[in-house]
Amino acid sequence: MTTDVLTPKKKVLIPEEYKPVFGAAVFFIVMMVGFIVAAPEVFLTVGIYTAIFLSLPLFTIVGLSLVYITAAGEIDLSFPSIIAISALAFTWTLEQTSLNFGLAILASLLTGIACGWINGLLVTRLGLSSLITTLGMNFALVGLTNILNNGVVRGITDIDDSRFRAILVGSWGPMPAQMFWSAGIAIILGVIFHRHRFGLHVKVAGDNPEAGRAMGVNIERTKTLAFILIGVCSSLTGIFAVLLNSTFFPTMGDGYLLPTLAAVFVGGTAVTGGKGTIGGLVIGAATVVFIQTGVVAAGLDGYWTSFGFGLVIVLSLIGHRRFSGKLTR
Amino acid sequence: MNQSPATPIVSLRNVNKSFGRVFALEGINLDFYPGEIVSLVGDNGAGKSTLTKIIAGTEAPDAGGEIVIDSEKVGKWDAAKARNRGIETVHQNRALSEQQSIYANVFLGREITNRFGFVSRKAEIAETEALMRKIGYTSKVWTPKSTVNKLSGGERQGVAISRAILFESRLVMLDEPTTAMALSEAGEVMDFIHDLKKAGKSVIFISHNPWDAHMVADRFVVLERGRVVYDAPKGDMSADEFIALLHKFAKKDQS
Repeated sequence: MTTDVLTPKKKVLIPEEYKPVFGAAVFFIVMMVGFIVAAPEVFLTVGIYTAIFLSLPLFTIVGLSLVYITAAGEIDLSFPSIIAISALAFTWTLEQTSLNFGLAILASLLTGIACGWINGLLVTRLGLSSLITTLGMNFALVGLTNILNNGVVRGITDIDDSRFRAILVGSWGPMPAQMFWSAGIAIILGVIFHRHRFGLHVKVAGDNPEAGRAMGVNIERTKTLAFILIGVCSSLTGIFAVLLNSTFFPTMGDGYLLPTLAAVFVGGTAVTGGKGTIGGLVIGAATVVFIQTGVVAAGLDGYWTSFGFGLVIVLSLIGHRRFSGKLTR
Repeated sequence: MNQSPATPIVSLRNVNKSFGRVFALEGINLDFYPGEIVSLVGDNGAGKSTLTKIIAGTEAPDAGGEIVIDSEKVGKWDAAKARNRGIETVHQNRALSEQQSIYANVFLGREITNRFGFVSRKAEIAETEALMRKIGYTSKVWTPKSTVNKLSGGERQGVAISRAILFESRLVMLDEPTTAMALSEAGEVMDFIHDLKKAGKSVIFISHNPWDAHMVADRFVVLERGRVVYDAPKGDMSADEFIALLHKFAKKDQS
């Protein structure tokens, strides 16, 4: 037996695990070139990027946790309502404690964790479909938010000058602070997803849960933790949104559902579970937010945004399939 | 031989398993001794796989039955505990996560991590490579980093088997390990079982193939409709006599 029997014959240009990220990046660059050609006066100035970088981190943070749940073979449609109800918990605690930020963040995180935990228990202990469970949960939490809040918009303008707000959503140089926060969260969740035992177990839960169980992996706990992670990330997105606007709207979570899900799939995470890519999600979120902002900025009618979304989702899916599908089947 | 004075690694005491109103196993009493190869045979649906799953901790027996490990009655039994006690299983369906790498599958449930739970890929890859060389499952086209969905059936079985011997296993259960395999691959599996015996490990071998079952066994256990109908050492029983015995049970079963 020679020593190189285990060495592959030829070097591959792009290792397979990076192909979805690479595909998403190519797609993003092509799209940006398209935008720049279509509207150079908009896309070659700084203003548009500042606007995009304000909201991009919010989609990214909650999107990261959706990569986990998708890889685990489940889905969560309740995160928009978790964003709203944990944002309410944050705002309400700020009001009640005359701006104790620590307590407010804690209250918001606990709210998010509780919602995710309930989703996780319903799905893993009762064996309910996650699609239907979280669809129901979304309605229930939207209702609960309005019941608790009476449909009121809560302005908290007295936080405008707080140091805390400056740290979380102020400007660090030309960049909104939340860009750095979301980058940090993406790195942490990326390392956990791709290098930590938990990330592996999440992928096994979506690929072959029976194999995981046979090897002693607690699949139910793994999935429940993935649902809880969505609660945590939704809560963080909610906190950033409240701070950005200095206001709580009961409709805070609206408008997150479809773009964030699109970001996951445009990024190259397979809907079938078992694998996923955090790097791809980051690029996918950028793609989605650039379409949202870019279509209008390019002078097109707002109606084109939706059309652009549809086009991008289908095209990127075809791209991912052609690019990385060859080897898997 | 089953008359060995040693303590059994695993004993089942009055184990029943029912699925709804159907009894998959009924009143099972069996001992499995160190260094012994037991061939577990029986028709489809006789309960062979259910029996291994109960020992492996992936199926719970009905209340009342006992699982005894090293003469110590165990309470709540699960797959992680079984593996910690040195019981490894090569499941019929291989139990592999096909979209993950070979090394991730080999170490699944027992990852080499630092104290924060981050996986040491270097160590896992190196150990997987050494292991694959040791048992001869090498290839020019895949490495420990390759994903399992690129492997042939025999290669996948190689991964599942590697996993079973990597850790300090004392009892290895192989559930139909040669199904859907090329003859040469099946031959390697049979050699591997001999190697396990040489290394002093116990084996529970499940097969449809009576010649294979006869060849490797020290002892035969025959299951029919969830009951043990035969449990005796091979002695000098020939393969023909063994097959005749199986036919006898099969006939009885039909009458």
